[in-house]
Amino acid sequence: MIDAPRCRHGLAGWAPVAAFALAASVASTAFAAPPRSAAGAAAAKAPMPAGIVLDGPYHGRSDVFAFGGHGEVRFGHDRERGIENPEWLSFPRLEAFALARIHRRAQLVVDAAYDRTMDQLILERGLIDVRVAPSWSVHAGVMLPPLGRANREHQSPRAEFSDRSLVASDLVGAPVSMFGIGIHGLRGGAGLPAMTYELDIVNGYDDGVVTEASPGTRIPSGRNSAGDNNGMPALAGRLAIRPHPGSEYGVAAYTGQYNTTEVEGATVDDARYLHMTVLDATTMVSGFRVSGEAGLAIIDIPPALRAIFPEQQWGAAVEVSRGLFRPLIAAWRTSSLSLAIRGDAVDFDRTIPGDSRSRLTAALNIRPSDRAVVRGQWFYEVTRDRFDNDAPAAGVAASGAIYF
Amino acid sequence: MANSREMARSCADRATRASVHGDVAPMQPATHRRNTAVSLLLATLLAVAIVTGCDRLLTERPDPGTRFDQPIEGLGNGELGRFQAGQAQFRRGFTIDEGLGPVFNNRSCASCHSADGRGVLENSLVRFSRGLDPITAEGGPQLQDKAIPGADPEVLPPGVDVSRRLPPPVFGVGLIEAITDSCILSHADPTDADGDGISGRPNYVMAESFVPATEPGGGPGPRIGRFSRKAQVPALLQQVIEAYHQDMGITSSFRSTDNVNPLSNKPNPDQARDPEVGGGEVDAVMNYVRMLAPPAPGEWTDRRRQGEALFVAATCATCHVPVMRAGWHDIEALANRDVLLYSDLLLHDLGDGLADNRPDGSADGKEWRTAPLWGMRLVREFLAGDMLLMHDGRARSVEAAINLHGGEAAGAASAFQAMTADERAALIDFVESR
Repeated sequence: MIDAPRCRHGLAGWAPVAAFALAASVASTAFAAPPRSAAGAAAAKAPMPAGIVLDGPYHGRSDVFAFGGHGEVRFGHDRERGIENPEWLSFPRLEAFALARIHRRAQLVVDAAYDRTMDQLILERGLIDVRVAPSWSVHAGVMLPPLGRANREHQSPRAEFSDRSLVASDLVGAPVSMFGIGIHGLRGGAGLPAMTYELDIVNGYDDGVVTEASPGTRIPSGRNSAGDNNGMPALAGRLAIRPHPGSEYGVAAYTGQYNTTEVEGATVDDARYLHMTVLDATTMVSGFRVSGEAGLAIIDIPPALRAIFPEQQWGAAVEVSRGLFRPLIAAWRTSSLSLAIRGDAVDFDRTIPGDSRSRLTAALNIRPSDRAVVRGQWFYEVTRDRFDNDAPAAGVAASGAIYF
Repeated sequence: MANSREMARSCADRATRASVHGDVAPMQPATHRRNTAVSLLLATLLAVAIVTGCDRLLTERPDPGTRFDQPIEGLGNGELGRFQAGQAQFRRGFTIDEGLGPVFNNRSCASCHSADGRGVLENSLVRFSRGLDPITAEGGPQLQDKAIPGADPEVLPPGVDVSRRLPPPVFGVGLIEAITDSCILSHADPTDADGDGISGRPNYVMAESFVPATEPGGGPGPRIGRFSRKAQVPALLQQVIEAYHQDMGITSSFRSTDNVNPLSNKPNPDQARDPEVGGGEVDAVMNYVRMLAPPAPGEWTDRRRQGEALFVAATCATCHVPVMRAGWHDIEALANRDVLLYSDLLLHDLGDGLADNRPDGSADGKEWRTAPLWGMRLVREFLAGDMLLMHDGRARSVEAAINLHGGEAAGAASAFQAMTADERAALIDFVESR
């Protein structure tokens, strides 16, 4: 195992980030005044990029202190090539969050979650958010970088499926948290569609992309919100437009060095970069909610590993859902029934036919209220190894998720 | 007080900020009727699907004998448990943090053996030596062309004898282990005493010192080699340990020091604690491959019976002996049974065309162990439609493989070539049905 990195350059690469943070602090003081115009006030209430702070239901008041959380339990009957998986009970996600307003323009957010994909309790968010102006803010700390919508919006009671798309889980690694600093804001108005933007300077993925990945290059293995392994910040950003209510089209990008170049003073490798682009879209078509996500990642792999560690990966997911009844039960005003179907796939190596996963999922969601869901789900999945041999798996599951 | 009331009201009216289905407004009657119809239709379809196709919707277990990774029939519950545990270890991909490397060829057993069958050209191994000298000081006897960050992969030294080897199938090796020495020796004819032009001799080799005498093929003194392309490995334990060490760079209590590139002056960057796998993991993998069943041969047809007769008439069956006999084995399912191997496990001179000019044990540069033909019917299925035959995968069809036979097998190849097209097709059909 490679030791904890001791990079000769230390945190030199973070100097511009510190300067940016200082400038943002000064700016936040300078702009520390209430919005003076009606337009400014309207902009302040307009939707900002989702998920930076908290957008779930909570107890308390967002202008003082609020807290909340959600959890999910899943009962499943899964089989791989006809052989049953003995694990019939699982807890895909348990999350608790809190928000404290420390100033009229600043708030602290803490969000801890156990997520089954990581199998550990992690700090997903621990940040300070400062509203510099009505339409833009600065945030710093541990954050969920905007690598597609799914990395931000993965609260179980809202989701149509108990698991995330393969683009989110296997390509991006959602939920992926990083630490750093960034800005986010909203533009538009006066007849133009609303546009949200975010740009973050973060620590980025680490060597785990290669060193902790057993089946070949796996970006989720490089998730790291605890430290920086190479002293070089990465950039993540997203631009989205909302042409009309219920629709959003976003493009996200990430670039950064992922590897450690020196161990104990000795150079072990050149700097290697990971670049990723994620497109996402959500819209309504004839009463159906249609959403999709597609991602492409390019990873610079050391030459001596390229034959078995792929350098290009991509994935795509399309989800169609429709609310069938609302209210489902007359006495429960917000109860509903919806049906959703998703097709998703990820190709871990663009250069060969195999090394991929593809899946079809159907779900029936009964929501007694907006705060809870009882879900019936079926999936059929085909995993292909690097020889292109298939391993079909399928399952039915009943799950329940609720805000608490 | 006002603030308290406001907070209380807010708490009571909590959870209203997020509208989960804001886009689904209360419905008009016509919409409601339409959705009711859609729901009923979906519910009916779902019920029909569940009743008629539950297994198909949830994947079906493959029939026995149709894959390379199935357990041999007759295992007890405890043995099946060991088989499953071993399968997980066989498929385990090692990470660099877990000790992969510093130099290596691949990261798991399963990544070389396609579905436990043979490998492909891209992951074939290069073995090299200078004559009988394995030249370990220069990186021999196997080229590790991949390296973790901080290490240099090996490059082939000049002037060495080189042999490219396709990863062989791993199913059925328990049965090969159980075949008695006397059965193998009964087919040997090292001096060609019967004058048929085909000799065949065992490769007597010494087991590595870490293989205990209690292991089949272990202990002091020469043993009949059974495994690998030149039958240069007498014991399954040795094969597994060397695969961990040479192919993946994984140390075990049997080979506890990292396999490094001796020609590199860089410090070893593999910081994983040695041994990187314990005896339990080694044992699990060994027992897994031991208990892997060979696929069942295809159904007999008249054409295949004709092909079998031609196979025997052309003297193919002299080396590709259809049935060998297993003796005692501590796994009862492997013991005292016929083994449809289509190999005598002996060394034969296959001529200059196939020679790698590189000795292995007592095998010379032209000699190869008779390749078992079991599982031939599934080769294409698990190689994406391809057929890679001979030690280095150079033959893409059974016909091409037969035509490459020289040396002692030249007569058989000539007999095949003298057949009519229909007869050749029947023989090929027979071989491809094994």
